[in-house]
Formats: sequence, C-alpha cells, structure tokens
Amino acid sequence: MLQMPRRSDTSAQNSSVGGAAVSIRALSKRYNGLDAVVPTSVEIESGDFFAIIGPSGSGKSTLLGMIAGYIDPTAGQIVIDGRDVVPEPIYRRNIGMVFQNYALFPHLTVAQNVAYPLKIRGVPKDEIARRVAESLGMVRLEAFAARLPSELSGGQQQRVALARASIYKPSILLMDEPLGALDKNLRDEMQEEIKRFQQEMGVTVIYVTHDQQEAAFLADRIAIMRDGAMTQIGSPRALYEHPNSRFVAEFLGEASIFPLKSVSAGRAGEARQAVLEGGTPIRIRTDAEAGPGSFACIRPERVTVGPKAKALDNAFAGTVRESLYTPGSIRYRVELDGTGLSLKIRVLPQADMEFYEAGSTVDIGWSADDMSLLKE
Amino acid sequence: MKTLEKTLWSTWSRFLTCLVGAVLIGFLVPILTVVLVSFQSKSYLSFPPSDFSIRWYEQFLGNTDYQSAIWNSLAIGAASATLATIAGVCTALAVIRAAVPGAAVVSVLSVAPAVLPQIVLAIGLFPISVWLGLQGTLGAVILAHAVVGLPFPFITVCGALSSYSSRMEIASMSLGANAFQTFRLITFPMIRAAVVAGFIFAFAASLDELVLALFLSSPTTRTLPLLLWEQLNFQVTPEIAAAASVVLAVTSLLIVAAILLPRLGKDK
Amino acid sequence: MLVEGNGILSMKLRKFLLFAPTALLLTPFFLAPLFVIGAESFSGKQGAFGEYVKVVTDPGIRTVLYNTFYVALMVTFFSLLIGYPIAYVLARLKGRWATIGIFLIFLPFWASTVIRSFAWMILLGRNGPVNSAMVGSGLIDEPIRFIDNGVGLMIAMTYIMVPFMVVPILNGLRAIDVNLPRAAAVLGANPWRQFLAVTLPLSMPSIAVGATIVFVTSLGFFVTPSLLGGNRTVVSILISEQANRLLNWPLASALAIVVLLLTIVVFALLRLSQVMSRRRGSARAGALA
Repeated sequence: MLQMPRRSDTSAQNSSVGGAAVSIRALSKRYNGLDAVVPTSVEIESGDFFAIIGPSGSGKSTLLGMIAGYIDPTAGQIVIDGRDVVPEPIYRRNIGMVFQNYALFPHLTVAQNVAYPLKIRGVPKDEIARRVAESLGMVRLEAFAARLPSELSGGQQQRVALARASIYKPSILLMDEPLGALDKNLRDEMQEEIKRFQQEMGVTVIYVTHDQQEAAFLADRIAIMRDGAMTQIGSPRALYEHPNSRFVAEFLGEASIFPLKSVSAGRAGEARQAVLEGGTPIRIRTDAEAGPGSFACIRPERVTVGPKAKALDNAFAGTVRESLYTPGSIRYRVELDGTGLSLKIRVLPQADMEFYEAGSTVDIGWSADDMSLLKE
Repeated sequence: MKTLEKTLWSTWSRFLTCLVGAVLIGFLVPILTVVLVSFQSKSYLSFPPSDFSIRWYEQFLGNTDYQSAIWNSLAIGAASATLATIAGVCTALAVIRAAVPGAAVVSVLSVAPAVLPQIVLAIGLFPISVWLGLQGTLGAVILAHAVVGLPFPFITVCGALSSYSSRMEIASMSLGANAFQTFRLITFPMIRAAVVAGFIFAFAASLDELVLALFLSSPTTRTLPLLLWEQLNFQVTPEIAAAASVVLAVTSLLIVAAILLPRLGKDK
Repeated sequence: MLVEGNGILSMKLRKFLLFAPTALLLTPFFLAPLFVIGAESFSGKQGAFGEYVKVVTDPGIRTVLYNTFYVALMVTFFSLLIGYPIAYVLARLKGRWATIGIFLIFLPFWASTVIRSFAWMILLGRNGPVNSAMVGSGLIDEPIRFIDNGVGLMIAMTYIMVPFMVVPILNGLRAIDVNLPRAAAVLGANPWRQFLAVTLPLSMPSIAVGATIVFVTSLGFFVTPSLLGGNRTVVSILISEQANRLLNWPLASALAIVVLLLTIVVFALLRLSQVMSRRRGSARAGALA
C-alpha cells in the first residue's frame, strides 16, 4: 500500500540555506568483471531529499558508498558544489552519513560520539561542549549525554547518529537504511523526525532504503535501482502514476499487469484500442508505440466496482474470487468472465456501500486514462 | 587522478601489507634452515652447507632410538587424543546442552590444563604415577597427555554446539528419536568437524609435549621430542636436522591431508 | 509426554554421566597432582613455610624468578609488536589471500617447539648465518653469543609465541563492524586517526587476551630456555633441576605453587578487566541494540 505524500514546497524554499547540489556523472563500479553499478548519471538539486530504492543487490548501497568515499568508483565523477570529490580521500569530503545500524562508537558516550567530528576538526573545547549540547537538544537527548550507545533504545541510537552526522553542518547527508533496524511504529515516528530535521537543516539528503513507503513519505524525488542501473527517476507521484516499466510498477505499490498483443494507431492524446494476449480488447490512453513485450497496467484503487462501472472505457462483468475487509480498505480479486484475467481491486469502505462476498458477480470498469503502458 | 594525500595513504597501506607478507614468509626461514643443513656431509653443522649428501638421512633411518621414539610418540598421541576427545565431547555436551549444575566449574577445570605450566603438572604427577605403578610406562604419558589435550576438543566442540540452537535436538526428540539416536543422527553430524579439529589439536599437543614425557617416561617409552631434546643437549649434529626434517615433512603432509580430505568428502 | 519421577531421576543421572570421563581423567591426573604439590611444598625440613621463605629470600631463586618474569614480559611485548600488524593486515584481507595468510601464520605453529628452538640454535649459533652475515658486512667484529646473553632465547620464544598473539587479535579485529572506521572517516578522521579512535580501543580486549596467553605460556616455558637460555635459567628449569637432580621435592613443589599462583593471578586480572569493561557497556556488542 502506498501513502501519497503531501508534496512539500519547503525544500525549495530552503534550498539556498545550506544544501549542496550533487551531480553524479557516468559513475560506475565493477567488481571482478561484474557491474555493481553501470555508468549512472543523475543531478540532485540543492536541498533535495533524494531517495534511492531497489531490491537488495541492486547496487544502491554501492552507489552510496562511492558518494561517501569508502568505495572507489571504477569510472565517473561525483561533483558536489562544482567540485569533483572522487580524487579526494573520504575524510576530506565533509559529507554527513547515517549508517545502517548507526555505526555509533560503542566505547564512547553519546556526547563523545557527537563531539567526535568537531574534535577531529580542531574545534575549541568550550565550543564543542556548547554545540554538542545544542545538537543533542535538537534530537531531545540532552539527558542521555553520558550514556553509552548500548544503553540506548534503537530510536535513541538513531537520533544520536543523526546528531553526529549533522553537527559539523555537512552540505549533504547520506543515509543508508537508517530505519531498517526499527520496528514499524518507531519507524513511522522517525520518518516524521527525519523529514522535520532535513527541512530545518536545509541539507541535501541522499537516502537509501528498500522500503517504498518510507521513500515515498520522505523524498522529493526517488530513483529506482535495478541490476546496478537507475531504471526511473521522478517524484513519488510520477513514479506511481506513470511507471515506465513493469519492474517499477510492481516495486512501487500494487498493480494488475497484463501482457499486450497489439495497440492500434491513433492520434496523440486520444484513447486507443489495444488487445491483450488472449484476445481481450481494452482501451488505453498513451502516446507511446507498443507491441508484443509491452504491458498494460491498472492500479487497484483505480478500478470501479458496481453499477457505475458500466459507463467506463473498460467495462467487464466478473466474478469475485477473493474478498477481504482490512482496516481502511476492502480488497477484491475479481476474475473477468470469459477472459481468464484476474484483477486486484482496492476500494475505500464508505457508509452503506455494498460488500461483495466471494462468488458473487459484479460489474467492474476503469477509465482509459488510468491505464499505463509498460515495457518489461 | 587522486590527491597526493590519498595516494600516500594507499601507498602506506600497501607497504604495510607487503611488510607483513614478508614477515610471514620470513617465519618459514628458520624451519627451512633446518631442512637445508640436514643435507650436508660434515659431521658438525656448518652454514651455508658446502656440499650435498643424504648421509644423515641414511643414519637416521638406521637409528633404532628414533624408530622406537617415533612409534612411542604416535602411540601416545593417538591414545591420548582419543581419550581427550571422548572426555572433551561429553563434557561439552553436558556444559552447553544439558545445563547440568556445576557447569561453570567444570568448564574452567577443562580449560585449565592448556594454560597450566606443564612443569607444575609434571612435579605433581610423578609421585602419583609411581604410586599407581605406572611410572615409566606408556600409560603414564598417555594419561598425562590426555589431560593436556582435553581443552582442545572441549573448546572446539563447545564452539560448535553454541553455533546452532538446541531446538534441533528438541525437534529430533519430538519426532520420536531417543537421546542416543538424536546424538548419532543430529548432534554428531553438526559437530563432526569440531570433533576432528579437537582431536588433531590434542594429537599435535601430545606430539609437541616434552616436560611431562621427561618426568614420566623411561628410556624405552621415550617420545620423539624428548629424544631430540636429549640429543641437542648432548651434541648438535646434522642427524638431528635430518630427523627434524622428516618430522616436518610428515607433519606437512598430514596438514595438507587435513585440509584436502574434508573437501573431497563434500564432492561425493 | 508424561515423565515419571523415576524417569526424571534417570535423565538427571544420565546428564551427570556425561561428566564421568572428564571426572575420571582430571581427578587423579590433574586435581590430585595439584593437591600433592600443595602438600609436598609444606613438608620441608625447615617447617611448614620454610620452602616459601626460601623462595622469597634466596638471592639465586629470586634472580631466576626475576629473569623468568623479565623474559616473559619482553616476549609478550615483542609478540604484540610483531603480532598486531600481522593480525591487522590479515583482518583486512579478503577471500583467498586471507586464507593464505592464516595458513602461513599457522605453518611454523605445526613444527614442534623442540624443532623450532633447534632452528634458532642453528641461525643464532657462533658460526650461524646471522653472525656470519653481521661479521661479513662489517657490522660487528666478533660473533655475538646470542645463546648465552638471553637475546637468542627471547628471539626464539617470540617467534614461537607470535601466532598465539595473532589469533585472538585477528578474531577481535574481525568482530569490529566495518562501518565503524568508515564512520570515523566520513566524520573527518584520516586513516591514522581512524585507527586510534576506533580500531585500537575496540581491539584492546583481544590484545589483553593475547597478551595473557603469551605471558602465561612464557612463564612456564621449558624447552626453549633449556636449549637457548645459556646460563640464564628460568623457573621451569629450576623446578626440574630441584626435583630431578637434587631430589629437593619440597622446594620444587613450593616453586611450582608460586608459578601456579602467578598464573591464576594473571588470569584473574584478565577476567577482572573483562568484567570491568563489560560493566562499562559491552564493546563487542557494538552499536546494535
């Protein structure tokens, strides 16, 4: 299930405050002849919250490691505020990073952990003390300054990591699955905190996660990685509503996806006739050319169930195979009569709405505008 | 493409790696020296050897003292390692799985022989071995070496047992296997590698041990290290180097076999 | 499943039976000997504590104890000095090279102590390769008597002890989360400061383990000192001589008890340091909750 985020404009307002623009140019990494990351280019604007999502092994952590500096790229440039940082050692890049499992120094107290980057930079003692107190105040951990990391809860450790990564005001902040170790409720809470933190700091964030909901909630833009390449980059809304590939459509949210046999020619902007594998005709609005190897995709919440469906571009009679009432939504799996096709449907429960039990026959339909055309 | 600073650090890191590599290879030099000096004809050790001969190997092969010492060492090693392994496996099972009271004390006692200076044990064992009528027999050395070897199988098997959950054994019992069947079919296959490793360590410890053998053996039950040591105290000759080289060659073969055998087993 | 009272008893009995082999082995051949030494050490002609008074007051014995301590300390120090970089490099190697490195460190380990000591007798002998090389290069005029001056003993013992130092430190270094030095680097620390801030403090517990093992083993060393020690005697040899040659069993036993107590004290100190550091928050548990 995907939460549609409120697209915030705050990042644009804050962009001048402190975030650096990052430009990744043809960056690649090969290990033993295998491409971990194929040459990848992407522009990340100043103050952007940029999320990279993808299944494990898709190269997202390698990409982040190259930006941080602990993985040497095979080729390419990483330009931060106009300066290529690839030739620079990791400790000169002035990047903030929150690691998976936080990588807090277990033998140092919370205050010592947060003070560490300032100590390295030769900041005077009294200033360190002042800034550490301020920074711990920001993450509401003043009372825990003298504790060791092992004496804190997961959420508290996460906040220490955030304070430590930001106390020296880096212009970009990298986060590698920062919420991976937390349970669901805490994760939701920390998402809010990270978002607020980023907006206050105005820092550019590059955020790696495998959780699409987290990415959609936090990010201004999301890149989806697969097999070492970014297959699509865009706002959460653009990715969800206009996925360009079957992989993206399935990775981000739920979808019913059907292989296409042919799409008739038509004028730009008009709904066109298409035929699915198996011969079922449908109507789809697309400007792209498509033939075998393409797919038609419909999101579950865009399907209408009940008498109103008859008036839509694509209208079918079907039989409910599964029906499930879950908090906040009703889910159906409906088989379209005479086609062998099966559709995932999600509707918002409303007062005096009819609930269809498995076995009942229903009318379903959807608009040609809600279908998207995908390649593999 | 790199800044000078980055280049310097990576050069330093590579230098350190090479240095350590050189040290590790250097660690082989003393042993190779022994082999080198064994192939000479002079009756005293000279370095570098001026000629090549296998005269000292011939003498070594004909020396009955060495033959009996080697057999004693192998017999003592095999017997003591077997005893140590049986005791070590049982104790590890009791300590890790059975949750028997007193496990902490028993663990400390089972590890203690590895760190107790052997001379201490030797002083105490001598009167006991006399009193039991074992003094000078193979049995005395075997029992003493079993004590010294016990910690190795105990530690390796404890490690193996801790590495997987006791739920496997509980599952086996719940499926109707009795304690012995469970050990044979579930536990033993899981700890087999650790048992073998423990046995090998115990065997090696016995082959290396000298002080207990010095106190507990007689000229007829003398072990190989003891014989080498006695000879070295008497006079350093190339024959000792030849004997040592043969021991080194056999040990190396055993190690290679120990590394390769489990791999062959996996292929079947 | 129902278990009758009788069955529970037999289960418990069976569990205790697992202790039987070790009990049968350790009681007569480990615990009894320690008891015998204890009893013997109080049975001297000069009263119960006579032998202990002698251990403390006799200048010859005190020299030997001091010498043993000094050698063990130096060997521990040099083993750490050589062993730590080896462990550090091996911990960073991956795949095949790590296997080769560990194989190399263990290779001499399999040669017996007598043979390794013998090797150093050859290398450090009056006409051995080390002396000939140094004389040949004009570094020294006369061959150095390594075997008599105690230096040869320390070289050979360090050589034998280095693997005992490397293995625990290697395990300790490998247990450190790779992200910790990385985190220090991202926060601005160069490799040296990363090492000082993260790697070194987090490997301290394993250094303590390695140093304890090497120190205690060196205290009890017999073979190498007997071959390379020259006239510098260590306590193991003194005990052996008192018992074997002079048949002074009470004194030998008192010395053995002193060595035993020293060993226990050193291990107790190690244990204490581990408990203390655990109380201050487990270093090895890392930042994982």
